[in-house]
Amino acid sequence: MRKILLLVAVVAACGGGLEPEPICARTLVGLCGTVRFRGTVPANTENVFIAAYLTFPQTCTDLINNRRPVIPGSVPFTDSIALYSVPLSPGVYDWVLAVWKKPGTLTLTPADTQYLRVAGYYRSPPPGDSSRPGVVTVPSGAAAGDIDFVVNFDSLRPATDFVTCTAQ
Amino acid sequence: MHRAIATLLIVVAPLPAAAQGVVRGTVRDKDRGPISGASIAIPGTTLSTRSDPQGAYRIDDVPPGRVRVYAAALGYGPIDTVVALTGGDSTTLDFSLSPAPLALPPVDVVSDRVPHFGDRPATSVAQVTERDLDRRAVNTVDEALDHVSGLQMVNGQTNVRGSTGYVQGLNSRVLMTVDGIPMNQGDRGGINWDLLAVDEIERVEILKGAGSSLYGSAAFGGVINVTTRDVPAGLHTRVRLTGGMYGDPPYPIWRFRDSPGMLGGADVAASYGTDVAGGRISVGDRHSDGYRQQDQDDHLHFAGRARWQHANTRVDVSGAWAVDRYDAPLSWCARGECDDQGQVFQPFKVDTTERGARTDSRKGYLAARVRTTVSPRFAWTARGSWLRTHFVDLRRSATEYGVGDRLGAAGQIEAHPESTRTVIVGAEATFSAVTSDIFGTHSQSELAAYGQSEQRIGALRVSGGARLDFLAVDGGSLTAVVSPRVGATLNGMWRASVGRGFRSPTMAERFVHTTALGFDVVPNPTLRPETAWSFEIGHTSAPLLRFMRLDAALFWTEARDLIEPQVLLIPPDTVKIQLQNVVRAHIAGFDASVIAAPIPDRLIATLGYTYLDTRRRLAGDSIEGPLAFRPRHLLTLGADYNLGALGVGADFRFASRPERIELEGFVDPRRVTVKVLDLRAAWKPAGGPVEVRLLASNVLNYIYNLVPETLAPVRTVTLTAVWTH
Repeated sequence: MRKILLLVAVVAACGGGLEPEPICARTLVGLCGTVRFRGTVPANTENVFIAAYLTFPQTCTDLINNRRPVIPGSVPFTDSIALYSVPLSPGVYDWVLAVWKKPGTLTLTPADTQYLRVAGYYRSPPPGDSSRPGVVTVPSGAAAGDIDFVVNFDSLRPATDFVTCTAQ
Repeated sequence: MHRAIATLLIVVAPLPAAAQGVVRGTVRDKDRGPISGASIAIPGTTLSTRSDPQGAYRIDDVPPGRVRVYAAALGYGPIDTVVALTGGDSTTLDFSLSPAPLALPPVDVVSDRVPHFGDRPATSVAQVTERDLDRRAVNTVDEALDHVSGLQMVNGQTNVRGSTGYVQGLNSRVLMTVDGIPMNQGDRGGINWDLLAVDEIERVEILKGAGSSLYGSAAFGGVINVTTRDVPAGLHTRVRLTGGMYGDPPYPIWRFRDSPGMLGGADVAASYGTDVAGGRISVGDRHSDGYRQQDQDDHLHFAGRARWQHANTRVDVSGAWAVDRYDAPLSWCARGECDDQGQVFQPFKVDTTERGARTDSRKGYLAARVRTTVSPRFAWTARGSWLRTHFVDLRRSATEYGVGDRLGAAGQIEAHPESTRTVIVGAEATFSAVTSDIFGTHSQSELAAYGQSEQRIGALRVSGGARLDFLAVDGGSLTAVVSPRVGATLNGMWRASVGRGFRSPTMAERFVHTTALGFDVVPNPTLRPETAWSFEIGHTSAPLLRFMRLDAALFWTEARDLIEPQVLLIPPDTVKIQLQNVVRAHIAGFDASVIAAPIPDRLIATLGYTYLDTRRRLAGDSIEGPLAFRPRHLLTLGADYNLGALGVGADFRFASRPERIELEGFVDPRRVTVKVLDLRAAWKPAGGPVEVRLLASNVLNYIYNLVPETLAPVRTVTLTAVWTH
């Protein structure tokens, strides 16, 4: 009996339950950083989320189908700066961006682009060309930190500025 | 043919009144204390009863001659004795049972629907007794079921040996019966655990494995039969008061309120009975602040029961009505959906866009049962029932409602042509209807006939039977399902069974049209019944090392057409969720339970372990991993120590992290192992009218979830006082 009670105590004491998980937690596999907001938040704003692409999308279909994660989280946009984190598989990501969304049900099809705008993206750090997207490497079992970028609500850009869309 | 007709006439013919006798008496323990709920039976006949709170019993219509009488109660060694009865005599037979914690408990209602006094059924049966319910101070039955070996409660859905995953509120692969009457909802097929007040319940028996051969649809994974308390003779009252408190989140950054959440309730029951008739009414009210944000619950229930006995006929009528108003906590808050305080998720908080969501629920049932013991060899039972559920989900985004009715009627004949043979035949009809803005307006009819025979040959007892079900939806064509089953026991220690179970899709599964995870959930009227072949072989060893009893079983189920949610890409540009028959499944495992009494009368310890190996196969036999929400390991440990009026105990539950969940990629995949420790203490003076129980469940405040984005209960401390008169 004492052995059983000891076993219970040991098993129960070994933790393993849900724990607080701050942005950029040590357990995160993905990327994290800050988003700084500028401009006037549009009245029809529903959400802002972070997305990543292993290869830069060429078409609207790529834009929707290759997005990671498939179902986006959200970043609070009411303050001038927000922390964010995105769980991702390890790999080299060509494009990490903030997406603005207006009300509408996403269908995971190119038609989604009618609700979405590119709000900002992580840019190549110095000495690289800061007008171009920066490449982010998510290491195995860890997070890529300090992936910071700016969202300007006054210059939300449609997907067609970046990719070819045959229909929306 | 002539011989069969003659046998039937002999079996059916009632004995002349002058030839019948009465066996009456009491069942007491070695200290002369009454044993309530003990089984007393004359094996091989239709004659049986249970002792009342004073330990008294009475069996009428006993044939003259040397009569074998059997008495048993949980925790006591059974007594099998023979009395000589002269025609018309009344014989007093008092039993004094000795404590024997390792003795196999009596099983009255099992898969075969045949009383098995002193025998074990061919399939595994677990029991939750009145004492288990009392000592755990639970408010609803499901809270006690979580400690049964091989069984896991997943947010109100019951998983028996891996049969069930989790689809919120849309189905159940386990049939719940109350005194043998099916109680699964007419529309969603689920189980209303809070419809019955726990004070109304005497015991619960859980049949593990496919029991559809005699119970029909929904008994795919097992049957949970709740036996309610009988109405004893005399005037009895019972008052139960409960108060308690929820633990705070263990991390300050998860705090969501300034003061702890409270819970409390009161139940009052009163009954009066004579030898001829009796009745009981009960009322109860509960309030809970909940353990997380937006989690309040108010519950009110009424229940009643009446019995009437005339000659060899007994009529039982029972009913209950419950009203609930509870907040709908929905999913926990993910980053950005609330004041997340810089956290990726806040498990105690909800998405602010759904603040204020709540559900109003009303449900009730009315059931009647008539049993006539025509002779010691022949009895018939008829029953009728009506179950109604009504819910309204009030949310900011939508309001949904549903009204479901389930009407049932059944008849059964029990015959004992010889003392070594039992025959059961019966028929059932069920009509279910739903009116809802998410399920539509639909109906489903089920007609069934079944039969089973059981023969004892020395130490071997063999049973075989089959059930034929016809199903029709909205008055359409009938679908037939045949469910055969055979089983055998040897010396009461070895058992083996093979059976085919099935589950008809619920109307909610066929016709649901709502939104979930931001996508449309669309109906699928073409869903087919799920079917499964189940095999089991088991053994009971007692006593083992003088102080233990071991029960072990190997089980294996091959299922087809399991219904699971699928994500559909519907051309040209739509994503939807639909329930489909997509999976062939293999569920195999090992189930063992041990009870040990190293210090007789003082210390009892229990252990239950289940190993599950599940495999899900898509078309073309390509294996695609385990079934969702099935932990590979389930472990329960328990211990109780009693010293006079004082008792202390502990329970521990462990479930390994499920390897797969439904709709992975569309929901927060966080899930952890379950490790929950409960502690309890009780003070119950012998013969006194008052008992007090203290329960600390999840005492380590282990934070876990069983389904995505839904926090499981945190530490809860309750104090319960019961006054019985």
